[in-house]
Amino acid sequence: MMKTFSIGGIHPSDSKISKDCKIEVLPVPSKVFISVAQHLGAPATPIVKAGDQVKVGQVIAEPAGFISAYVHSSVSGTVKSVGPRKDLAGNNMTHIEIDVEGDEWVEGVDLTDTLVTAIPEDNKAILEKIKMCGVVGLGGATFPAHVKLCPPPGKKADCLILNGAECEPYLTSDYRIMLERSKEIVVGAAIMKQVLGGCPAVIGIEENKPEAIKAMTAAVAELQASAKGYEGISVMTLKKKYPQGGEKQLIDAVMGRQVKSMGLPIDVGAVVQNVATSLAVYEAVQKNIPLITNVMTITGDCLPMEKQHNYKFRIGMPLSYIAEYAGGIPEAAAKVISGGPMMGKAIANMDATTVKGSSSLLYLTAEQTVRGVESACIRCGKCAEACPMGLEPFLLQKYARNNMMDELEDNAVQDCIECGCCLYSCPANIPLLDIIRLAKGDVIKIIRGRGQR
Amino acid sequence: MDKLLVSPSPHLHTKTSTKSLMRDVVIALLPAVVVSVLFYGWSELLVLGVSVASCVLLEYLITRYMLKKPCTVGDYSAVVTGILLALNLPATTPWWVVFIGAVVAIGVAKMTFGGLGQNLFNPAIVGRVFLLISFPTYMTDWTRPQGFVGGGLDALSGATPLGLAKEGGVAAIESLDYMDMLFYNIGGSAGELSALALIAGFIYLLARRVIRPYITLSILATVAIFSGIFWAINPAEYTDPVFNLLTGGLLLGSIFMATDYVTSPMSNWGGVIFGVGIGIITMLIRYFGAYPEGVSFAILIMNSVVPLINKVCHAKKYGRA
Amino acid sequence: MTQTIIWTIAILTILGAALAVVLYVVAEKFKVEEDPRIDEVEKVLPGANCGGCGQAGCRAFAQHCVESSPNLDSCFCPVGGNEGMQKVAAVLGVEVAAKEPQVAVVRCNGTCENRPRTNEYGGYQSCRVKATLYSGDTGCSFGCLGCGDCVAACQFGAISMDPTTGLPVVDEEKCTACGACVKACPKNIIELRNKGRRNMRVFVSCVNKDKGAVARKACKAACIGCGKCAKVCSFDAITVENNIAYIDFTKCKLCKKCVAECPTGAIHAVNFPVIKPKPAAEAPAQPVEKKEE
Repeated sequence: MMKTFSIGGIHPSDSKISKDCKIEVLPVPSKVFISVAQHLGAPATPIVKAGDQVKVGQVIAEPAGFISAYVHSSVSGTVKSVGPRKDLAGNNMTHIEIDVEGDEWVEGVDLTDTLVTAIPEDNKAILEKIKMCGVVGLGGATFPAHVKLCPPPGKKADCLILNGAECEPYLTSDYRIMLERSKEIVVGAAIMKQVLGGCPAVIGIEENKPEAIKAMTAAVAELQASAKGYEGISVMTLKKKYPQGGEKQLIDAVMGRQVKSMGLPIDVGAVVQNVATSLAVYEAVQKNIPLITNVMTITGDCLPMEKQHNYKFRIGMPLSYIAEYAGGIPEAAAKVISGGPMMGKAIANMDATTVKGSSSLLYLTAEQTVRGVESACIRCGKCAEACPMGLEPFLLQKYARNNMMDELEDNAVQDCIECGCCLYSCPANIPLLDIIRLAKGDVIKIIRGRGQR
Repeated sequence: MDKLLVSPSPHLHTKTSTKSLMRDVVIALLPAVVVSVLFYGWSELLVLGVSVASCVLLEYLITRYMLKKPCTVGDYSAVVTGILLALNLPATTPWWVVFIGAVVAIGVAKMTFGGLGQNLFNPAIVGRVFLLISFPTYMTDWTRPQGFVGGGLDALSGATPLGLAKEGGVAAIESLDYMDMLFYNIGGSAGELSALALIAGFIYLLARRVIRPYITLSILATVAIFSGIFWAINPAEYTDPVFNLLTGGLLLGSIFMATDYVTSPMSNWGGVIFGVGIGIITMLIRYFGAYPEGVSFAILIMNSVVPLINKVCHAKKYGRA
Repeated sequence: MTQTIIWTIAILTILGAALAVVLYVVAEKFKVEEDPRIDEVEKVLPGANCGGCGQAGCRAFAQHCVESSPNLDSCFCPVGGNEGMQKVAAVLGVEVAAKEPQVAVVRCNGTCENRPRTNEYGGYQSCRVKATLYSGDTGCSFGCLGCGDCVAACQFGAISMDPTTGLPVVDEEKCTACGACVKACPKNIIELRNKGRRNMRVFVSCVNKDKGAVARKACKAACIGCGKCAKVCSFDAITVENNIAYIDFTKCKLCKKCVAECPTGAIHAVNFPVIKPKPAAEAPAQPVEKKEE
């Protein structure tokens, strides 16, 4: 019996069109713009100025606060400017503009393909390396990885869950790295599990990726046979259901435990990291390579097969450059999305640049994505049936429209994970999540305010 | 591609719409419609036609000219109400009575509450109950009109099985053949004719995930258990469970009317409470009430407590055991 | 028969009397003691319950007035205005200083023509939703989003969307300066400004903090923060900060020098009598005279 999370969930069409496209390396453009806000938390503070020479992998911005991360240059060359530039939502954010000259890396970086399986013993040094290399969670939230790997005092990790579910339709970048970099991912998992005190590690993969399950299982077996520190790592096949990759859902599916409202995964002894994060941890700890690259999927039903790609990109590349390189934005595309179609962001500005967490350029046609006209709620309850948190979106949206904050809190609007299942499943096209997301923000503000008093 | 479209996530949307859901209900009702037309002939066709046409027309006129809201005729909800109303009436009902029923169903039960999604009571049942109280003679005229097939099946003309049982007790229904009733031979309203046709519709609705089974099954289970207990105590006085399940529009009511989205509870547990309530009230009316049949009244009564059920029963939330 | 009637009447009478006693006892027991002046103050209030005073409604405002009496400085009912506050003061037997009447002013001139659309918004038509999602469907990330949250917030029907410009228009006659629209606007575009002498006002109709070139590229009518207006102003009423000029309505003497000086036509003068046709400025002329008296 395959495991999955217990409440709600939906089954959108899989659409993994680009799953057989090997990862290609994108050539470096003549100019990159590196954002200082590539992670959850406070934007980093730039430490370079116009005219400075930088190398690949050099720190160009430092964390500004506990929850923040280092940002490294992804190219070598001259800093042209440090100033505001519009991100993909069109809002101003500080970017560091670098003119590319050559491809000279900082010292101490191991650029060979040799697999390093011996895990360093000093956990403190490992964490320091993860932090210094600017590793953040690559599953979507871009939460700084080292913070998650240091459980607060008194809390112990019982299980490290590696998220290989990739439950979002269309995306195939995690799938590709699980096929092509399986051993590196397992080494990363072993490193993280050692840091967490030797808890078991489970790599959760959905059933629709049998090849990845095979590759990862083989990699685990091989490393367990040949090196030390790999015991307790296993692969778990999960049923296909969205949002399996949601942190809380994955914990429920793998461990059968549920995180309390407003609580953290570590409260139930779980630490969840994406497989791509695991790869970044491997590169940081074993190879000294900071997080300046990631894999993104270029896909969409309106793209011909030869224009479907999985690219290894460097941070700071303009999206328009990548789109051009991949063969241009298709005429039929109405919307371009960075991330998956369920939780990704629609791009308003193609001149924005890639960040650590970029995972796709997804082209959707008008027919696929334009919302229908809103009509009356027929109280079918499909939103409540779909909600993986067991909320009642029809009720929440009614309260939210009337600003009934107490009722919203009583009905747990703050638990919403914004997965989009409700809006996806509503037959009356009611903008449930649009409204609930706002209310959630308001209610969380009220709850936090109360906590401080 | 001219300008990029930007909107909040999610960017995909299910193909299911209000219209497709209602269309599925219409499709699920087709077997029952076909059977009733086959056995009741032209007069049933007239009842169906008048009912559906007047429901749709009234919905159009009221949304367009009185409420001045976007017209909701296109979503098939009025068609569903029309068919259900027709199936709830005897095939011999005069056309003007059917029309009055439609006026009450759409005009009073649905539109005065604000239209689709707002009504407290199931429109078709309100229409039927209004007619039952206002025109009892027409509404209990169970003469079987000449059908397209099986003209000789008028063994039950004059009363429904439940009516017979009410009048003459258990002895009066001993001659009934349950297999007949299952297929095509339940006397009464047009929609009650064939249990099998209704069950086929139920299976279709479940397969298409239009409805969840909780409400229907809890009604049927309650009726079976309730009547089972009484029958076991005194089989000479009380009718048996199978008889109660097959007769009196229980299947029609529990599959198509109690499960109406708007007037039923949202949560699964709420649905079970709702269903048990309907089952008990139905059997109380059948065994002890003045009317031979009680499904319509039971659904209406339980409709009125749905807001209360919704307040009490909520879905199970993640991490809040 | 008669006996039945007598019995019925008797029982109902007794029942009625008994319940009346219960009601009386309960009402007495749970009576809430309130200052009777609250009722009196509430009577002279407009009763719109708009919340423009900052209180939950008219009754809450009345309570606030009674509690803060004799000093009513923190109390102002924008709907009733000075006249209304005089009435409140009279009820409470105190003095209250008059406040300048105000009106809501929309500080964005990003019409469809001035500010070309760069993308299309396809989500829920709400400025707040749109603002949390992204910068908006034009190049300007500060300007009006055009979904009409202010229109929905206005209790007095004083704001409407102009379909040709896509911007909200304030009906000065109906506006009570309650400030609901100011709170509703996620971009802080709407401001309450003094109505001014004979309703004449001069204000900068832009809130774009981008550098001049960026702002200008996004919108023809943007304030580019050039500071010409500040230099020409003889009354020190104009300050330029963060690439945006702001006219202090308490200092502005309505001389209109800045209006002529502004290269983009971002400064608007409204309700001035037309003396002569405006000389064509070097910049693309904006219709600065919105209304004639």
